[in-house]
Amino acid sequence: MTPVQLAISVLVLPLASAAVIALFLRRSGGLASLVSVLAATGIAGGALLLAFGGKDARFTAASEWLRFGDFAISIGFKFDDLAALMLSIVGVVGLCVHVFSLGYMHGDASRGRYFGGLSIFMFSMLGIVFADNLFMLFIFWELVGFSSWLLINHYMDKQSAADASKKAFIVNRVGDFGFLLGILWCQAQFGTTNLDALAKLVEGGAVAATAIPLLLFCGAVGKSAQLPLHVWLPDAMEGPTPVSALIHAATMVAAGIYMLCRINVLMVPDALSVIMWVGTFTAVYAALCAITQSDIKKVLAYSTLSQLGYMVAAFGLGSVSSTHMHGDTPHTVLLEAGVGAAMFHLTTHAFFKALMFLGSGSVIHACHHEQDIFKMGGLAKKLPITFFTFTIGVLAIIGMPLLAGFFSKDAILFLSYVVDKRVFVLLAFTAILTAFYMVRMWKIVFLGLPRSENAHHAHEGGLALTAPLVVLALLSVVGGYEWFYEKVLRGAFEGVLELVPHAHDTDHTVILATSLAVLLIGALSAFAVYRPSPTDTLAEKAPGLFGALVALKGAFDRSYDYYVAKMQQRFAMLLNFLEQILLAGVIIRGLAGIVGLFGLGARALHVGNANAYTYWFLFGVAALWAAAAGVLIF
Amino acid sequence: MIPATLNSYLFVSVVLFAIGLVGVLVRRNTLIVFMCLELMLVASTLALVAFSRYNGTMDGNVFVFFILTVAAAEVAVGLAIIVALFRKRQTIQLDQLNALKD
Repeated sequence: MTPVQLAISVLVLPLASAAVIALFLRRSGGLASLVSVLAATGIAGGALLLAFGGKDARFTAASEWLRFGDFAISIGFKFDDLAALMLSIVGVVGLCVHVFSLGYMHGDASRGRYFGGLSIFMFSMLGIVFADNLFMLFIFWELVGFSSWLLINHYMDKQSAADASKKAFIVNRVGDFGFLLGILWCQAQFGTTNLDALAKLVEGGAVAATAIPLLLFCGAVGKSAQLPLHVWLPDAMEGPTPVSALIHAATMVAAGIYMLCRINVLMVPDALSVIMWVGTFTAVYAALCAITQSDIKKVLAYSTLSQLGYMVAAFGLGSVSSTHMHGDTPHTVLLEAGVGAAMFHLTTHAFFKALMFLGSGSVIHACHHEQDIFKMGGLAKKLPITFFTFTIGVLAIIGMPLLAGFFSKDAILFLSYVVDKRVFVLLAFTAILTAFYMVRMWKIVFLGLPRSENAHHAHEGGLALTAPLVVLALLSVVGGYEWFYEKVLRGAFEGVLELVPHAHDTDHTVILATSLAVLLIGALSAFAVYRPSPTDTLAEKAPGLFGALVALKGAFDRSYDYYVAKMQQRFAMLLNFLEQILLAGVIIRGLAGIVGLFGLGARALHVGNANAYTYWFLFGVAALWAAAAGVLIF
Repeated sequence: MIPATLNSYLFVSVVLFAIGLVGVLVRRNTLIVFMCLELMLVASTLALVAFSRYNGTMDGNVFVFFILTVAAAEVAVGLAIIVALFRKRQTIQLDQLNALKD
């Protein structure tokens, strides 16, 4: 099998699985889950085969799909190291989540729909990974939006789940509108959206209009939930927990970062600084919000937002390092450190965040779907495997040395230290907050005594629940080491990972010291402040601060509510009024009235008397003669 | 005696045509209307003969033969329709034959 055929079968496999489930297995959840998990296994296997197929397995292939005159849309594969890395993440994390779902969703009446949704999601996500042009990317982009909607809405008889899925879909539309405009603008300026062709054009000296990368970035703002479109992600936690792990932590929300790395050739300095600041503010804002959350999944959701902000900031920090005058024309030096740092953090984050989400799934499963951390407690002894792996996840995200998050976070901190000190300070502050809220949650959930009946009777789930945790915990440890990628994975992704910036000498010392300092400050203060108690310690000790953070979290939702209810709704009512009066009243009723009048007149002529018709005939002859003779001019 | 010119023939033809037209317009009896229609037809054939004579060709005469033949057939059909109409409706007054109106 050639790499191209393998790639096509990897792409089509989940689609086939989704089709089989949707058509035949909606009622039989057991078979559906089997089909879906087998498909996921096939994807993971095929993905690893492709990724580790050596240099021969890197290819581009395309075939034309639609043609309108000069404009053609092609379906194609661009499989380079970047795609290989993303493909491996999607494949491995996807498989873990599928297996976990076997245990977690066991006993759910609509398992068929759930696993069908997972398969269609895998198909859409792989399409994004493989896409070689922006139109194809956009098609699959919308498909992941659809499958995300489907899966958030899994518990559809719950009003909050239905609302959350709608919110996610609509907020993503806002971002995608900009994304589509950017694609069209790109097509208009360059005449192509093929990534390789764009790279060649840019190498040849073409510079994208600043609006193009910014509009394309709008898509990432929606999908990767950056400020100000982040509001959908915390609500999306209404979906089943494995879905949150796969879609709303590890893969789909990271698609925005991946897309940015795909189009990095189009970046210009102005756009990059916008991207950098959006990412930085998202990171700080979401970390502040996470402190007050009491729902275990919401803490993780805000943490995801914050880490996505980190990746976006990393991308914005690096990709164009400087602009200097070369003769008379400004010459931009491409430094792809940002791509390296962002993708590196994406990789490690995918592992440890999926681990923590699945861990929280295991906790929620054990506590009979209790999600309030203040009603848990003492789970360390009840759920030893979950506790151990979850702890690894927590340590990885807060940047404990020797774990994956430490390396990727340091790369980003180093980049910000070199490029912009203000961003460095904000990101370091975010790292303190990250350590703070993570240790807070960890302590409240696992330490102390059980604070509810459910927590008291918690016990570890089956192998399907624990095995994915162990695999992901392992990856969360080794995922940060260079030797792991070089020796174990034989340098399969070096095209991306060689771009990761490394600090040297004094910089190295500064970064290491900062990173250790923020870790200790955040973790120790959280450990000191919080007691495993049924109420939030911070809310008791510093209600002002707590209230301010809650208000900060609600600010966006409130302003959007205000906008929708007070402005958009009123505007819509005004439009509706005008529509009723002008369109329905004047134009439609009016036209109908005029036609009716003509009908009345015509009916009056129709007397049924042959003599009268003869007169009309005579009149017609006279008129015809008059016209022919030129007496009447028409 | 003044020799008959083309204009005199055409005058007679126009008068006949006008009588026929007025008959069609004002009479109510289908039979009369039908006769008036025939009168108009004959008026036009008279004009054709006159033109033919004036031009010294036979074209108009040939036309007239054809028209008369067709007219004879048409009269047969028309009278048959009027007879059938009378049998069905017991009247041939035009102002009572207004079923199309409804």
